[in-house]
Amino acid sequence: MTLALDVPAIADSPLSRMDPRWKLAALVPAAILLALVRTVPPAAAALILALVLAQRARLPGAWLARRLAWTALFIGLFLIWLMFLPDPNGDVRRFGWLSISVVGLTRFAVVLLKTLAVVTLILIVLATAPLQDTLKAARALHVPALFVHLLLLTFRYVFLLAEEFGRLRTALRVRGFRNRADLHSWRTIGLVGGTLLVRGSERAERVGHAMRCRGFDGTFRSLCDFRTRALDVALWGAVILTTGGLFAWDLWRR
Amino acid sequence: MNDASAISVTATPAPAISVTGLTFAYPAGPTVLDQLRFEIAAGEAVGLVGPNGAGKTTLFLCLAGVAPIAAGQARVAGLDPAADRKQLPAKVGIVFQNSDDQLFSASVGDDVAFGPLNLRLPAAEVRARVAEALARVGLTGFESRVPHHLSGGEKRRAALAGVLAMRPEILLLDEPSMFLDPRGRRELLALLGEIGGTQIIAAHDLGFILERCRRVLALDRGRLVADGPAREVLADAALMEAHGLEVPYPLR
Repeated sequence: MTLALDVPAIADSPLSRMDPRWKLAALVPAAILLALVRTVPPAAAALILALVLAQRARLPGAWLARRLAWTALFIGLFLIWLMFLPDPNGDVRRFGWLSISVVGLTRFAVVLLKTLAVVTLILIVLATAPLQDTLKAARALHVPALFVHLLLLTFRYVFLLAEEFGRLRTALRVRGFRNRADLHSWRTIGLVGGTLLVRGSERAERVGHAMRCRGFDGTFRSLCDFRTRALDVALWGAVILTTGGLFAWDLWRR
Repeated sequence: MNDASAISVTATPAPAISVTGLTFAYPAGPTVLDQLRFEIAAGEAVGLVGPNGAGKTTLFLCLAGVAPIAAGQARVAGLDPAADRKQLPAKVGIVFQNSDDQLFSASVGDDVAFGPLNLRLPAAEVRARVAEALARVGLTGFESRVPHHLSGGEKRRAALAGVLAMRPEILLLDEPSMFLDPRGRRELLALLGEIGGTQIIAAHDLGFILERCRRVLALDRGRLVADGPAREVLADAALMEAHGLEVPYPLR
């Protein structure tokens, strides 16, 4: 079964050869800095640079485009209303009966552009190294063990949860259930959510047993050995300097 | 004169599993296992049968030291599951009913390496064990495959490889033939025969047990209701009927 969270086979590229620790140390601060950008040109430049990086990392174009399209749709559904809020400065463009606030439109564009840039960076991290190695790198960078374990298990079991949800949905449909947005429908959806929660909890207990039976003592171990090369440091410096420059540009423009 | 040196004594080898009065109950819950008593010799393959809720999985968890034994004693591969819990994973391997519960790593190779890494073996030894275990179950080349893309049979083999990589003396298999098609079931039977060692197989698939095990333990509501040769216990229609089971087709 292939889901939206599936990652493609890792293609050979400078980024896939990069030490996962340096990659995380470059892309996580870059994503945080980009999240703080508040003007359109730096946000647009960030997206373009992130897409160039994705191209250099040899991410499959269709795979990346599909995920970015879903992200854009999600952001659009939540934030499109920003354009229609009353503008305190009265800077409004009218198209017949439609009034669009320039400030609202700008904010919408900034959020959309920087979110797409950050998601692209996350996808680069996911698609250029096995998850186990990336998580080991996170532990090496002193990310709390509990958080790392939760990420690993969430990634593994979100697929099963989706399958379970699919089976429950089929079971409802074959018994004539259609979502009619009435009280019965909402109650049924609530019960499905509760069932998934209970099954997830039971599965968590069984997974815990299976892990303990194979000697798990709270520490995740991996065969990946990290080795820093000059190119890792150079790539790290390039990413940090570029995003730092974009952020400085943004500060200057405000 | 009593010449001790002239007396030939054939030492009985210590049983792989010895259970005396084993009892288990969940906190504020009913008794799940009640005064179990049995021994299993090293190298023996034993079937464990019983209706749903009989306590088969709980017995496995007790033997592996995961569920605490409330009363009674158990020796598993010479270890006490209560006191030697940390040493047990190297000696006892469980293949769980649902392979998805067992395959929690991001790739098959990582999952098979999980146990040996927890034993803190050197990396070269871990890699060798992973390759050996995958070869043994016929999954060479599957190292980088993600578990949720495997078929039911492949998942079962990958889960078994994860346990075999720890080279356990005792193998506990919970419903091993579940989710397998007839060919997968046949291949698993052959594989378990090749692996050998001490095995306890809990299953509703009584035909599977009949083909693999000479001896059967029957559990019902936490009590041991039969212990004997598989062909005799499983052919006892009255016993099977009384405990929610059926005589397997080859014995009818």
